[in-house]
Amino acid sequence: MTLTLALRTQPPARVLAAPMIPERLRGLNASAVAALDLGCGGETVAVGDLFAVSGAGTEEEELVLAGDLRRFDGIGACMSSGEIEVRGDVGAWAGAEMSGGVVRIFGDAGARLGAAYPGARAGMTGGEIVVSGDAGEEAGAGMRRGLVAVGGRTGAGAGLRMLAGTVIALGGIGAEAGLGNKRGSLVSGRPMEPLPAYAFATRFRPPALRLQLRRARELGLNVDEALLRGVWARWSGDRTELTRGEILIFDDGEERRE
Amino acid sequence: MSGYRLGSAEVADTFAEAFPMRYTRILITAATDAWALEAARSMTGFATSVIGCKCEAAIERSLTSAETPDGRPGIAVLLFAMDREGVGKRVLERVGQSVMTCPTTACFDGLEGEDKTVPLGASLRYFGDGFQASKVIAGKRFWRIPVMEGEFLVCESVGVGRGVGGGNVVIGAGDEDAALAAALAAVEAMRGAGIALPFPGGIVRSGSKVGSVTSKSMPASTNHQMAPTLRVQVDDTLVPDGVGAMFEIVIDGVSEDAVREAMRRGLHAASGAGATHLTAANFGGKLGQFHFPLSELRDPP
Repeated sequence: MTLTLALRTQPPARVLAAPMIPERLRGLNASAVAALDLGCGGETVAVGDLFAVSGAGTEEEELVLAGDLRRFDGIGACMSSGEIEVRGDVGAWAGAEMSGGVVRIFGDAGARLGAAYPGARAGMTGGEIVVSGDAGEEAGAGMRRGLVAVGGRTGAGAGLRMLAGTVIALGGIGAEAGLGNKRGSLVSGRPMEPLPAYAFATRFRPPALRLQLRRARELGLNVDEALLRGVWARWSGDRTELTRGEILIFDDGEERRE
Repeated sequence: MSGYRLGSAEVADTFAEAFPMRYTRILITAATDAWALEAARSMTGFATSVIGCKCEAAIERSLTSAETPDGRPGIAVLLFAMDREGVGKRVLERVGQSVMTCPTTACFDGLEGEDKTVPLGASLRYFGDGFQASKVIAGKRFWRIPVMEGEFLVCESVGVGRGVGGGNVVIGAGDEDAALAAALAAVEAMRGAGIALPFPGGIVRSGSKVGSVTSKSMPASTNHQMAPTLRVQVDDTLVPDGVGAMFEIVIDGVSEDAVREAMRRGLHAASGAGATHLTAANFGGKLGQFHFPLSELRDPP
């Protein structure tokens, strides 16, 4: 049985939701989960005060969070296994520094999705994050491995100081993406203007991207068939780093830009 | 048990003798069926017998775009060798030379979940001369090797399973044309999931025996007992009266059961397509771990 937390009341301040990850809730029944404390502003608040809890932490490690969770930061942060499904919008730092498992957000995500915490070099080191809506600024900052796939757009600065891994935005990667990117892939389903630190290489059908897009579809994103079959422009960069990273931009054939 | 009659054919009271082998399955995808087939044909070329080719490989079946990891048309190839090391070496050579080189292809592990694996992309990546890149997708690592066309995508490693090699049926008829027609019908019925028929068109016309009568250094030589032209020249012929040509179909399979059922399909198909004599090759039963008596294949598939 899946553990489900449905939001009943909005918290008085921002909540650090990082403890609510499947691996820490494993084996707990509903009342034990409801008794857990979360940091809320300078205070603590019990999970049960904010959420209606049903089910129990399961072997399958699946956790469902439902409601408008824009005041909840760090959902799925540092998780290494299991699956979180969120039905609603979330705050900042969702999936920050996660190393495994799956976070599926059916809604929008705030800033620093799957990113590194301040001062940390590497952010996400594994796992998959899928967001059906938009994501905020600096999605995938410092990412080392894994997949962030966004159905809508990412805010400015996606893939900042990225080491490797993949950030996909079907609705388009926002401005100033991939600054300081070493080996990462940024994938934009809509036309965009890469930073001057990127240079156009070629148009091709990237075979690995096809697998990643199919995987994103499997995880619940609505991926257009045209993206799977189509041609993508590859821009290489950041040329002030290794020039081993890439920005792939879907080329629908209507617009040829160099 | 004794021989029995099956349709037009007399089935000999004998058995096929087969050996444990290691195998892997490679999924080759490409932009079109035709290119996937080109790669698969090339990869499974010159892979008829471990004796001379170091491995045995064949196309298992074609895959629709719904069955492949990347949603393109593909081909499943089975490759057998005597041990895991052999599978590893041969698959690396063949994917490197025949799949990576072929336009539009990508290469995937068709034997996921096996405990034992051999490296594929993990070694082939060095062809990328340092420009290769990897992606972990749904928990599996792939290598992107930059090539003149764009990129070749190949899985990190492939699973190795325990299979059975050397199952066989031998199909005889009054003349070459009739025997070949019956053998072709058998091949058609035998091909399928879990089965590799490594010889040209699935059929071998030069079956061999272990060693030789006239030389100590030959590892294998012609199966003189089944050569119709030697029928009165040798004392131990196995060619019955009225049989003018015999063909052997060698079967490698992913399990004992897969081989047995393929043999069953083959015998019954051949018996309905003009075969007059059906038998099997063995080495007296001392060499192979697996025995497939034809007497157990009497019931139709």
